[in-house]
This record gives sequence, C-alpha cells and structure tokens, in this order.
Amino acid sequence: MKLVLYSGGDGKDNYHLDLNFIKLLNNKNPVITFFPSSSYLSEVEFREFVRHYSQFGIKRFIHFPVDVNFDKVLLEEVLKSDAIHLGGGNTFYFLKHLRKAKLLTPLKKFVEQGNVLTGLSAGAIMMTQDIFMANYPEFDRDENSVHLKNLKSIGLLDFQFFPHYRNSTRYEKAFLKLSKEDPRPIIACPDGSGVVIENESTKFVGKTFIFTQGKKLIINP
Amino acid sequence: MNTAKKLNQPPSYLSFDQVNGKHPLQSKVSDVQVSYQARRRKGGKVRFFNFDLAKEMGLIEDDHLCELNAELEKKILDTFSLVIINEWDIENNKKFPKSEILPNSYMATRYLQLQHPDKLGRTSGDGRTIWNGTVEHKGITWDISSCGTGGTRLSPACNINKKYYQTGDPSISYGCGYAEVGEGMETLIFSEVLHQNRFKTERLLAIVEFEKGLSINVRAYSNLLRPSHFFAPLKQGKFETLKKLADYHIDREIKNKRWPYKKTAYDAERYYQLAEQVTLNFSEMVARFEDEYIFCWLDWDGDNILMDGGIIDYGSIRQFGLFHSEYRFDDVERFSTTILEQKQKAKYIAQCFIQIADFLASGKKKSLQKFKDHRLMKLFEKNFEYHKNLNLIKKIGFDESTQIELIQNHIKKVESFRRVFSYFERAKSKKGFYKVADGITQDAIFCMRDILREFPQLYLARRTILEPKEFLEVIKSSYAKRADLKLTPIRIRQIKKFQEQYLDLVNIVCKKKKMNIENLLLEVVMRSSVINKYDRVTGNSISFVVDKIASTKPKLTAEEIFEVSQNFKYYQTLDPDQVVEKNIVNFRQKNLLTRLTGIVRENRESL
Repeated sequence: MKLVLYSGGDGKDNYHLDLNFIKLLNNKNPVITFFPSSSYLSEVEFREFVRHYSQFGIKRFIHFPVDVNFDKVLLEEVLKSDAIHLGGGNTFYFLKHLRKAKLLTPLKKFVEQGNVLTGLSAGAIMMTQDIFMANYPEFDRDENSVHLKNLKSIGLLDFQFFPHYRNSTRYEKAFLKLSKEDPRPIIACPDGSGVVIENESTKFVGKTFIFTQGKKLIINP
Repeated sequence: MNTAKKLNQPPSYLSFDQVNGKHPLQSKVSDVQVSYQARRRKGGKVRFFNFDLAKEMGLIEDDHLCELNAELEKKILDTFSLVIINEWDIENNKKFPKSEILPNSYMATRYLQLQHPDKLGRTSGDGRTIWNGTVEHKGITWDISSCGTGGTRLSPACNINKKYYQTGDPSISYGCGYAEVGEGMETLIFSEVLHQNRFKTERLLAIVEFEKGLSINVRAYSNLLRPSHFFAPLKQGKFETLKKLADYHIDREIKNKRWPYKKTAYDAERYYQLAEQVTLNFSEMVARFEDEYIFCWLDWDGDNILMDGGIIDYGSIRQFGLFHSEYRFDDVERFSTTILEQKQKAKYIAQCFIQIADFLASGKKKSLQKFKDHRLMKLFEKNFEYHKNLNLIKKIGFDESTQIELIQNHIKKVESFRRVFSYFERAKSKKGFYKVADGITQDAIFCMRDILREFPQLYLARRTILEPKEFLEVIKSSYAKRADLKLTPIRIRQIKKFQEQYLDLVNIVCKKKKMNIENLLLEVVMRSSVINKYDRVTGNSISFVVDKIASTKPKLTAEEIFEVSQNFKYYQTLDPDQVVEKNIVNFRQKNLLTRLTGIVRENRESL
C-alpha cells in the first residue's frame, strides 16, 4: 500500500512530502491522474497541479472530475495510472460524487494493486474509514450542503486524519475529548506536514500531532 | 491631504448627470429618431447594478465598493426610472404633473425591421426602448439605452394594427412597451459570460424592477448602432440621411479609437473603409458564431446585431452545446435561419455596405446585385476561412505563436484536419427532424469538446491512437443512439484520419519549436481542458439559471446578483490565457453556484 496524505499548503510547503511521493513511483515516466473534489473551476486547479509536478519531471497527467459524466475509455486509463491524487475541497460533496460514480471500490483496488494514492485535505480524509473528521470539530468543519448521511469512505487506514491543524488550546481540547471517545488515533497535521505510508511503514513528514486515548503526542517537534 | 479629504467625502455620482436624454444623433442625424418627452416612473427599485461596467464607464469611481448606498440607488433611479409620454398619452390628452416631466427629450431610433409591413424602415425601430444618452470616460464614448420605457410609434403592434397603444396595455405583449426582469437577467448572465470570453456584446448596466416582474433593463456599449439603422435610409434612398449617419458612425469609431484607417480627406474612401470594416467584422463574427455554436437570428434587415458584429438583444441569441446546425426558431409566421445560414446573411449585410459606399460615393443607388462580385465579397470569404481555421487550432489548445505558425506555413494540413473535424461535428441523428418547444431541430450526435479535451490526455498516457470503438465512446453525446454509432468503413477511416491529422499538426509544431511531443501535448492538455471544459453554458441552461436565481429565497439583493453574475462568468471562462481564481467565501454564494453549475452540466449538450 502506497499512500501520501497531505494536509494543505502550497508547493513549497509540501516539498518534502512531494519528494517522498516521487520516490514511491515505480515508473520513470509515470501517469498521474488528478481527481478534483468538484469540477467547478477544476481546470484551474489541474493546471496548477500539472505545473507543480512538472517540476519533478512528470509529463503525463489526466484530469478526472468525478461529479460529471465520464466515459469508460478515460476511466480505464485513469485506473491504469501510476498515481491518483485526490484534491482538496468540500469532503461531503467529494464523497457523495465518488460514491455516485461508483469509484470507492475501484480506488481501493487501485491501491491494492500497488499504485500510489495521494490526497490533500479532503482527499486525504477520503482514505480513512469515514469522513467523520470533515465534520469535526464543530468550529472548523465542512458544510454538509449535500446532506450526505453515509460517511463511509475508501477505508484504507485505521486512523483518523485532520488537515490544516492549528496547535491551539481550542483544537487540543476538542481532539483530546474525541480521542477518549473514539479508539482510532487522530493524526492532526498543520499545512506542509503529512503522512507517507509504504506497506507496513508509516512516516510522518513535518510536525505532526497524534491524539490517542486522551493524550497528545508531538512528532518531529 | 488629498487622500484624507477623499476618504472623508461621500462618493460623487456626477457622471450620471451626463445621462440625460441628450445624444449626438439627435442633432447630427435628426431623422433617424423620434423624440419623446419622458416623465419619472415611480415605484422602481434597483434589482441589479453592474458595478464593474459602471467603473469601466466612469459612472462610479474605480475604488467604489460593490455595494449600493442610498445615494447611488437614488441616482440610478433618477437617471433610469422613466417612462415616455407617447402618442397615446397625447391623443388621450393625458396630463402629468410638471414636476414629474424630465427636462430633455429622449430618442427612439428608427431602423429596418423585417416584421414590419412597411419593409422600408419608415415605421420601424425601437418599439419599447429609448436612448438615455452617452457617457465619456477614458477616451471612450458609451451609448446607453433602456428597454421597457414605454411603447413607441415604431413598435410592430402600432403599425400592424394602425393605432397607438397605451404603455402597459395588457392586450398586446411586446408592443405594450414594458420589459421584464427575466429578460434583463438573461441578458445579464449571458452577456457577462460572452464578454468574459472576448465576444463583442452589449452589456447590462442596471435593472430597475417594478411590480409584477416588470422592469427597465439598461444596456450599454461603445456604439449601439446596428446595420439596420443604415438600411432604413438605404431602402428609402435617403442619400443625405445615410451620409450623415455614416459620417456620424465613422467619427464615433475614430473618437473611440476603433477605426483602423489613416485619416483621409476623401469621403468616398471613408465609406469604402466602412464597408471593409463591416466585411471584416462580420466575416470574423460569423465564423466564430459557427465555431462556438452561437445561434443569432441574422437576417437581411441587420436588426439583431451591432455594427461591429457585436451581440445585441439576447432574446434571439442561443448557444448550443453541440453543433445543432439544423435548429430553426419558429416565429409563428416564419422559421429563423440556421447557424450555417448565418454566414450568407452576414455576407449579405456586408454586401449592403458596399452598396452604401457606392451610393454615397457616386450619389446613385445601384442594385445590390451589382456588388456580388465586389473585391470585398472575396475578402469576406477569405477572412471567414482564415477565422474558421484559426478558431479550430485555437480550440485544439495551441498557443498564439503556434496558431500563427500553422496558419502561415501549414494551412493545407489545418484545412485537411478541419474537414475531418467537420465530418464528426456535423453528423446528425438518424432520428431526423422533430419539434422542440420553440422550433424544429435534428440532433447533433458528437461532442467535439469532449474529444478535443480527452484525446491529448489519452494519447499522452498511452502513446497510441484510440480504437474506433473507443473514439466513439469518447465523442458520443447523449443524443447519439445505437443506430447513430455504427462503425461503418467510412467512419472507421475518418476516425483514423482525425487522430492521425491531429498528431500531424502536433508533430509539425514539435519540429518547429524543437520540443518533444510530451511537453507540447502537456501544454495542449492544460489549455484544452479550459477551452473545452465539460460544462459550458447553453441557451437552455441560461434560462434555467435565471429561474434559479429568481426563485432563490430569501430574494437576492442587487449586490448578491452582481456577485453571482461575476462568479458565474469566471466559472464560464474558456480562455486559458485569463487568470481566474476560486475565491468565493460566502456560503450562500457557494451553495447557489453549486446549483447553477449543476444546471449547466445537465444542459450542456442541449439547445
């Protein structure tokens, strides 16, 4: 299993995570597919995505919005990519359309076949069991404007992931409380930090906070 | 000190005072207009104000907040909330308080209109519109007109029924002189999108709303003259009027720095320059309309188009999602032209301007037929072809320098690709013709935007061309049924040809630019994903979008409508060279825009 979870931030912030991602790719001339969370102005995001990863010598990209109809030919090519990146945005909207397009299982299989799945913010949350963290804490959550009830996601990870973490008393209190109620560890990453998973190994890149059983741990302080 | 003073002062709206009914046409070409006294119309509210356009026109300061304050609202209403005192009012001896009557007259202009029985333009023109005047700012003179300001003697109803009507008379619809908010909103949304995509078009400055959904829709452009303004005096053989009008128009274009010719002392030369300008503008415009699937009911009266080929009157404008080139609007008495017939109508309009130039130069009006082989008619064809080729390679996603290289040095290859592109673009459903709500059509079956967007991505990923079945899977639209998708030997050949010729063009550019194919295709992929985006507006989607905006509860404020129109136009920007950013922070706006994008998507292939 090869996964990279980005919290957020710009290209410079994520340089080290990007290097880790590139290392995970087996192909010297890889194809990377970009799944925006919504097709709204996703061409703009796609261009930024391409420009960013072109700096690493990558030249083959596919743009694949999931909230619009797509053809089988493109989907087959997408699932043959070396990596898929799930973009940031509204997690509820993104999950609703991934499910509607029947892509949750193919994405899981894609990872099981040894390909790389990366995600930023909403895209990273999508790799966990459910998108509960998009709804938590109350003072910093995505609007569930699509009224999604089934929050089950791709389900690749046993921990919860919280992006754009700010190390403040307010957040700390909220996550300590949650960690007492939910057995799953919460990995909270500020922008520029993230998690790289390669099979059994889990690597934290940048300052990372882990909340578990009412305790807070700091990695790479 | 100046800055501090400025900060403490309320914004001044003195520029609005220029808009007082006075327009240079009234004195320079008095017989192309009918003058009306006007009075204030009460009960109006500002439903929409285009802050961006108002800044461009100098009506408000560049740093003015996009918010209506009481003073600005009052100024907008004082300037635009008016109704004419028409012939019916005079005949019926209607009296209005002096305090309500505005000091200056407002003009309704005369122009040729096909639907009038007269056919010579003696009775036709602005039926429910008056010109508010002009505004000058940064070297540009803008014309402003308002639709819905009362019924004039130039409306079809007056002339067909040979009587004057009271403004608002419920027994006639269009002729009653009123306009509706919905019409204004459609113009707003559509014109802002097209303006953003560099179409020449009138734009909506404001909507003043009254009870029962009625409104005054205020529009602006740097020159609101239409070919039909010229065709009325031409048909009537009125040399002096035509000459004055041509002189007025040319002088305005020179003043607005839109006249590309050097100053000449010879009037005749100026008139031929005018004919050349119309030829170039109309051939370019009609090529673009064809390629962007813009349906504009062009006819010999030149009524639905501006002198520079700009769009006016969105009631007869549509954008199709596919090349539905057989669609005709049913106007009860007759069917409209199709997209492909627009070219002949545009050419005819250009030919009329050659006739005008000759008339003004020689003093004798000759038959239009005499000019069918004029050099400008050849120029029309040449420029049309040039733009058809250019539009196609732009759509592929090549940048400007590449476009020029291909057009200048590899035109045969471009034309050859255009032929195979057209084969798919023009393919129609076996279902044949059928009636739609407002006309007849035969469905196009292939979505060219989809293949142009996906092919470079797929080729980059796999480095082989698509199998015929795969090609059809990508290009087929929701209108294509099984019978439409048969892989005949001809179609298989065309599929191969399409891909090979596309790659031929790519390879030519690679060689010229000394780039490898991956780098070039990557650039094409990025540009093409914007140009050929999945969800592009259609005429149908605009109507539904306007319905959605109108039904949003609580009712959107003027500022919110402005914000929606701006966000919507950014979303619909199909120009890869324009920088557009996602910056909507307001939740209500986000939510509404999500709904609007859904509408656009659902209707993306329709009429």
